[in-house]
Amino acid sequence: MDTQRRGVLKGAAAVSAATVASTLAAPAIAQSNSRVLRFVPQANLANFDPIWGTQYVVRNASQLVWDTLYGIDDKLQPQRQMIESEEVSRDGLTWTFKLRPGMKFHDGTPVRAADCVASISRWSNRDAMGLMLKAIQKELVAINDSSFRWVLSKPYPKMLYALGKVGTPCCFIMPERLAKTDPFKQIEEYIGSGPMRFVRNEWKPGAVAVFERYKDYVPRNEPSNWFSGGKVISFDRIEWVIMPDPATASAALQSGEVDWWESPVSDLVPVLRRNKNIRVDIADPLGNIGAFRLNHMHPPFNDVRIRRAVQMVLNQEDYMRAVVGSDEKLWRRLPSFFTPGTPLYTESGGDILKGPRNYDAAKKLLAEAGYKGQPVTCLVAQDNPFVKPMGEITADILKRLGMTVDFVATDWGTVGQRRASKSEPGKGGWGMFHTWHAGADHVNPAAAIALRANGEKAWFGWPDVASVEKEIEAWYGAKNLEEEKTVIARLNKEAMDNVVFIPTGFFYTYQAWRSNVSGIVGGPLPWFSGVKKT
Amino acid sequence: MQSKPFADQLPDLFVPKPVSKGFIAFAIRHPTMSFGALLLVLMLLMALFAPWLGTIDPTELAPVKRTREPSAEHWFGTDAVGRDIYSRVLYGARVSLLVGFSVAVLASLAGLIIGLLSGFLRKVDGVLMRVMDGMMSIPPVLLAIALMALTRASVENVIMAITLAEIPRVSRLVRGVVLSLREQPYVDAAVTAGTSTLTIIVKHILPNTLAPLTVQATYICASAMITESILSFIGAGTPPIIPSWGNIMADGRTLFQVKAYIIFFPAVFLSITVLAVNLLGDGLRDALDPRKAKIS
Amino acid sequence: MFSYFIRRVLATIPVMAVVALFVFSLLYIAPGDPAAVIAGDQASPEDIEKIRKSLGLDRPFLLRFTEWAWSLLQGDLGTSMFTGMRVTELIGQRIEPTLSLMFVTLVFAIVVAVPAGVLAAWKVGTWIDRSIMGFCVLGFSVPVFVVGYLLSYFFALERDWFPVQGYTAMKQGFWPWLENLVLPGIALGFVYIALIARITRATMLEVLSQDYIRTAKAKGMSTSGILFLHALKNASVPIVTVIGIGVALLIGGAVVTESVFAIPGLGRLTIDAIVRRDYPVIQGLVVIFSFIYVLVNLLIDLLYTVLDPRIRY
Repeated sequence: MDTQRRGVLKGAAAVSAATVASTLAAPAIAQSNSRVLRFVPQANLANFDPIWGTQYVVRNASQLVWDTLYGIDDKLQPQRQMIESEEVSRDGLTWTFKLRPGMKFHDGTPVRAADCVASISRWSNRDAMGLMLKAIQKELVAINDSSFRWVLSKPYPKMLYALGKVGTPCCFIMPERLAKTDPFKQIEEYIGSGPMRFVRNEWKPGAVAVFERYKDYVPRNEPSNWFSGGKVISFDRIEWVIMPDPATASAALQSGEVDWWESPVSDLVPVLRRNKNIRVDIADPLGNIGAFRLNHMHPPFNDVRIRRAVQMVLNQEDYMRAVVGSDEKLWRRLPSFFTPGTPLYTESGGDILKGPRNYDAAKKLLAEAGYKGQPVTCLVAQDNPFVKPMGEITADILKRLGMTVDFVATDWGTVGQRRASKSEPGKGGWGMFHTWHAGADHVNPAAAIALRANGEKAWFGWPDVASVEKEIEAWYGAKNLEEEKTVIARLNKEAMDNVVFIPTGFFYTYQAWRSNVSGIVGGPLPWFSGVKKT
Repeated sequence: MQSKPFADQLPDLFVPKPVSKGFIAFAIRHPTMSFGALLLVLMLLMALFAPWLGTIDPTELAPVKRTREPSAEHWFGTDAVGRDIYSRVLYGARVSLLVGFSVAVLASLAGLIIGLLSGFLRKVDGVLMRVMDGMMSIPPVLLAIALMALTRASVENVIMAITLAEIPRVSRLVRGVVLSLREQPYVDAAVTAGTSTLTIIVKHILPNTLAPLTVQATYICASAMITESILSFIGAGTPPIIPSWGNIMADGRTLFQVKAYIIFFPAVFLSITVLAVNLLGDGLRDALDPRKAKIS
Repeated sequence: MFSYFIRRVLATIPVMAVVALFVFSLLYIAPGDPAAVIAGDQASPEDIEKIRKSLGLDRPFLLRFTEWAWSLLQGDLGTSMFTGMRVTELIGQRIEPTLSLMFVTLVFAIVVAVPAGVLAAWKVGTWIDRSIMGFCVLGFSVPVFVVGYLLSYFFALERDWFPVQGYTAMKQGFWPWLENLVLPGIALGFVYIALIARITRATMLEVLSQDYIRTAKAKGMSTSGILFLHALKNASVPIVTVIGIGVALLIGGAVVTESVFAIPGLGRLTIDAIVRRDYPVIQGLVVIFSFIYVLVNLLIDLLYTVLDPRIRY
């Protein structure tokens, strides 16, 4: 009996060892085909309509399938992409656009002006700048197959920026029949005129998304530069492999089963760096801004003194370390609502976030404001790697300040729903939640919806500060950079003094790729053109 | 008349083996159960006396000291926001043990009631068992996440979700015992004699269910502690303010390759405790089983 | 027997109805708005409301439930709110990996646990017995993901014997398919080894104390003959029962394993759907899971008649 079984086991072991040895070649090497790029995105790609669903990851995938009329370069200046030339009338009210010739959609039909008109209409129903344009629109019509005209009732100098920005939703151009879909419903086909086709029948939502080269794509002649220039893709196939577990993604990158990881956890980066076959660098030079969003509508944060008390004790260093780890190069203090390193950056009014923290003064302020222990309902999403640690720090400082904390640990979906509630905390409402904003959205007030302070119509938290709104309007009307800078300095101070929200710091994230992949540059999106694999 | 005995005492041929009474002797006779119980008691004591075992506040954050390796200052190192893992593990024992025991007790009670009802009342048997089947086929993971989303992540929700998932099995067990006992002649006799159902239950049924129920309860306790860690892994466990072995591990999972100690220590403690409970259950089952067979 | 079979199949219908109603109600009252998730961070409350309307989420409970139940009866599990794909298509894509994982796990568990249990029963009371049982219980005491990470680190990352993650379809070759499933199968299998080995040992002990075993031994039958011919056959019923119960637990364990090893299976689909509140997908999945569970138990009951001729319905 014993010998019998032992023999079987030994035999099984021998067979399996031989199997393993013979297929040892299989795992990493066979998949490393230089015409196929395997990319691990920052999040799950659950849907694929960049106008209907405005998550960053959807936009990042959409840039492969659809093109835009303009695209910003690394100086944040809009450059022509699908447009060959444009003309503005002297009074600034009539824009005429001419398309590049020879562009085709993936189903073979040519790109016409009518497609652009329909796409712009759909986009302008969802986008903040688009809505502004829609409000002053007198006419948007195709003149012929290759030109269209947009007539406004007021000048809008930032038109090209609106059409070429990376803030979501981007103005992607779709075939007219798809663009006619209600902007609050999903499109049913994913046909675009971009350099890659979406391979619908290989899509496994939550697991893998596949893109194939579109042979009839005609790129521009200029070198590719962020969202502008010629999009030249050197792969026949790009696979987006969704990996929910960062430890798994890290292991997969190390073993060569994937080529490029969009957002490695910063604590794992040292291991990746030590690996000879992996390169690591900052993903987006425009970084991210952490946010402590307060509810201005209900106690206790409806009193500006209590908001300022929190500002006095909030230590951005603690938040940033918790979010990005021990790497000092990855974060910096942010006494501002704008992105460091950009032309409009200012620290005016931000002194309260600098220097040693002052709990005593804060407690005095609380007492002065008559804080009587009303609970602060903190909505903290546990499934988000940035929000979760920030929430824990917040619970700590509020407790030390002597405030009552009602800590609601839940998931991002629930936070998304609950933060929309204008009820009182205790009746389903909320006191604060954490989020973060892409630095690209805070280079100026245009995409920074978190800065708006028009009360009920503002973003969640509903800050109501007339002086902030006044300055934002002034910025839109500013005629040159000097004027803009002056306005922004005032705006920053007003927003700080009234605590529209509290920035918890400025941080970068890394991206990592195999050393046999070249041409990867940083940016608010992962750029695929110019990337090559040997 | 006092006389010397005329013959020597015959030696005793069958010397009765002295059955030593007392707790220690009992423990030695049942090594598995004793070992398990000992480990469990150690864990309980550790959890109870956590504040006096060299711990600091388990929720005290110090991001500047994050992810430090084990050292003299922090015996188990620090986690991703700088909290002391040693303190969190010791306090975490409270939550994990609480979850384990609560689920075991609640599921046993509820399962007992449902099983009794089902076994005695033919009319509700069909309905109840179908509902139990339905409940058993819903993954507890789903239930836990839904409950968490319903209110918030909390220890109560975790306990409730796991309990709901364990009740059907207990009820089946009890029902099985009731059904088989109902056919026994002495129960039949009791019924004929007019004894109230309650008395029948208390005097005849319950004593027979207690043994398998207790054994089952220990397994449920062990399983609940593991399930709690899995729920924390997928983000539906106890909130981070309240440390539990599960959520300490869940927090440290991304750093497994670089800072393995964050997962290692709670994993060891959890494994020891679950092992202890399992051994206790095995030992109980063997001790309560009158027919412990041996093959020559 | 056939009538029993039919009766059992019919009896599953009320079970499924209970499950369907329960999960639908739970999702209905659970907060968390898929519309808010879809609309994204930058959306206004009006946008979210419009999306809710277009998804039909503002209609009354009874109407939505009856609609869903009616299409369910016609085999239509609905359409995912997020991806726009039909739920049946989504499930179809992911069922092969999950079933493969479950299959490999069960095979591994049975192949290791049954002999272990038999050995432990045969050598009951010795150190072999104790160490086998101890080892099994240890396997049950460590959470699946810890085992998973350990295996992945030592055998996939450090030694490159197996791939770290992913799934290869069967049609791309048997060995590549198996390769991706070895480590996850072992990680998930530890739990079942404990369960199955324990039950095997317990029932073998009972069976081995029976009279007919002693008779067989007296008649000169070899030990292996006794163990396999008589004992194991009689012990198979409880073993198979445990396997049936284990299937439900497997589904839960598969969720974790699929996350750790990035296997695109139903477990991960469930988590993704729940987190996003993709109601049609969640409802469809729960119905499918219950169905699988009920089906497996039915098959096991039928298997009983094969294994034990005394059992007749």
